[in-house]
Amino acid sequence: MHDGRFDPGGFYEFNLTGGMIRTRNGERVVVLSEDVLSSLVAAAARDGDLTPLRRLGELLGEQVLASLDRPASVLSAEAVLGHVSAVTSLFGWGRLAFERWGSALVVALRDKPELDEDELGAAALLGGMFSEISQRQVSCVPTGDSKFIMVDFEVAETVWGWFKDGADLPAIVGMLETKRAS
Amino acid sequence: MTDREDRLRSLLDKVRAKRPGERETHAAEAVDRIRAGSGTMAAAQETPLSEPSTSPHVESPTRYSSQPPRVERPLSVEPRARSAQPPSRPAAAPSQSQRPASIRAQSVAPTGQPVVYATDQPDFPRPKTFGELLELTLSLRPR
Repeated sequence: MHDGRFDPGGFYEFNLTGGMIRTRNGERVVVLSEDVLSSLVAAAARDGDLTPLRRLGELLGEQVLASLDRPASVLSAEAVLGHVSAVTSLFGWGRLAFERWGSALVVALRDKPELDEDELGAAALLGGMFSEISQRQVSCVPTGDSKFIMVDFEVAETVWGWFKDGADLPAIVGMLETKRAS
Repeated sequence: MTDREDRLRSLLDKVRAKRPGERETHAAEAVDRIRAGSGTMAAAQETPLSEPSTSPHVESPTRYSSQPPRVERPLSVEPRARSAQPPSRPAAAPSQSQRPASIRAQSVAPTGQPVVYATDQPDFPRPKTFGELLELTLSLRPR
């Protein structure tokens, strides 16, 4: 940690003798081509089990948490975004940004790998990452144009159904309202 | 008539006979002087016309700009302060030393509002933390 900013220096440790790549936190990572990863994700989406991608997102979230000097909940959105987008970029998952649509927090992930048509692979990855960062059950539901609305996992299926029925992001936000947990 | 009177008369006649010539001579000299003088004056008058570089038109903008600017004119819209003056008061405008002072007074304190109004800090809402934004979005439910 340096001045609250993410330090990408020395993030990867290349062990050419041992044939391994590790992050600075010790996790072993494997470099995959986009085509191979796309095939794997498409198969997982067909089977309805995107757990490996959600697990990969949790690993990214752990990297983010390790780089923060305080809990993410007390930091500004800009500070958290700086660390999240840096880790996402280091793993080759594109450019990440936050957007606010009313009370809804939306994640935009540009230039991400083309995995599956419905973008469920990226949604699983983002859900796992933000769940790890916030220590809450977070779902990121695709809403088109590489944007994912962040909602509670209990309403994720409903929001996904609205999108599949043709609702765009403004319409989806209009069909939601803030309700405090009882 | 005595001899003496005759001599005096003859002398007077001689004098009368001589003076018209002298007058003509003096008049001719005077005419010559006047002509000479008028010729000089005419040359002096022709010089600026023949030399555009000394034309007064070139100096005109400088002269105009050196006149006092009419910045006092906006004061005519100030609320009745001057128009309410009695008509018996001289119509002459205030002196140059008074006009800028009134302009400055209007521009420095135009409304007379207390300075505290300008120094009050507005209450900007505190930016939400990431945790608060997350709490908001996770609280969304279908209508």
